[in-house]
Amino acid sequence: MAVERDTRLAQKVYQQYLTFFDKAERERRWHPIHDIPWEKINRELPEALVLNAETFCCVESYLPDYVAGGINVVRKSFGQAWFSANWGYEESKHSIALMEYLMRSGRRSPEHMFDLQAQLMEKEWRLPFTTARQMTVYGCFQEQATFVIYCRQEAAASQAGDEALRTIFRLNARDEIAHARFYEDVIKLLLEEDREATVLDIAWVAKHFEMPGVGIVPDYESRVQVMRDVGHIDRDLFLQKVYFPVLKYLGVTREELVAAAGQLRKMASASANGAPVNPATV
Amino acid sequence: MKSRAELLQTFQQLATRVAERPIELTSEAMAISALGIDSLGMLEIIGEMERELSIRIPDDQLVGINTVGQLVDLVERRLGAG
Repeated sequence: MAVERDTRLAQKVYQQYLTFFDKAERERRWHPIHDIPWEKINRELPEALVLNAETFCCVESYLPDYVAGGINVVRKSFGQAWFSANWGYEESKHSIALMEYLMRSGRRSPEHMFDLQAQLMEKEWRLPFTTARQMTVYGCFQEQATFVIYCRQEAAASQAGDEALRTIFRLNARDEIAHARFYEDVIKLLLEEDREATVLDIAWVAKHFEMPGVGIVPDYESRVQVMRDVGHIDRDLFLQKVYFPVLKYLGVTREELVAAAGQLRKMASASANGAPVNPATV
Repeated sequence: MKSRAELLQTFQQLATRVAERPIELTSEAMAISALGIDSLGMLEIIGEMERELSIRIPDDQLVGINTVGQLVDLVERRLGAG
């Protein structure tokens, strides 16, 4: 019975993936070399914006870890595993475009970029959550947040008269929101299957959410501060543009989430040492 | 209707429960995040206040709430509106 339920869910997820893939192939494909107006780089761009491009490039550079970890956790779901493969392809263009920007603009030398890449790969990104459902929720918040931050950087690049960087941020943002939508549609299916457990996972992920660069990108805190200053990014923006829109799209109310958070607290209180209890382990 | 002092006390009790440690309020100007309460925790506190006081705070009004005093201001406004 459980296997049958799993395969019915897998069928629905596959349909979501086909919809996503069809739209991506028809409307969203772009070329990181040919679709960026490189001749419109502003070589006098303020260093803060260049640094932000480099920070994004750093975060996107952990692609090998994201793909390896992400695809294995969903390998039993055809739709999600194939999505992960496609996701890796699309994300690979983000780092190529940013890296090319940094080098073609002359603001970073190839030596600097490859030294930085080597430094980045000294550390490894690890899965923040261990189940397919929790990683889907994580992916949803993370992609939506990245979309919002890219949009803010796009506006800053536009204001600074750098059409090349503006285009990169716009194309990257468009991919990120498409990824977020796919994750949201999968979460809707998961809610249909088991609403209580899925809402509990949403609360758990929201409670323990961190952006992927934390603890691995060099000087991450100071880099993020520059990003916040340029893009006017704060907790309010996260609530307004990430948290509430995602919950609204999913049809999960604030009351449900608050109740789930209360349940997580009760589970922690009942545990031997009072430590938080991941609902996936219960 | 509860007085401001009572609302602050309610906040303190709920914050203590959510943070799972005693919260001492020394000033209304204290940032909620400085009390060790994250975004989800703040929503929990607000949800409990809504339930206890039979009010509903729209999501868009939660934006811009940084300090304890700002939250209590908002609750007072909603109580007045109700």
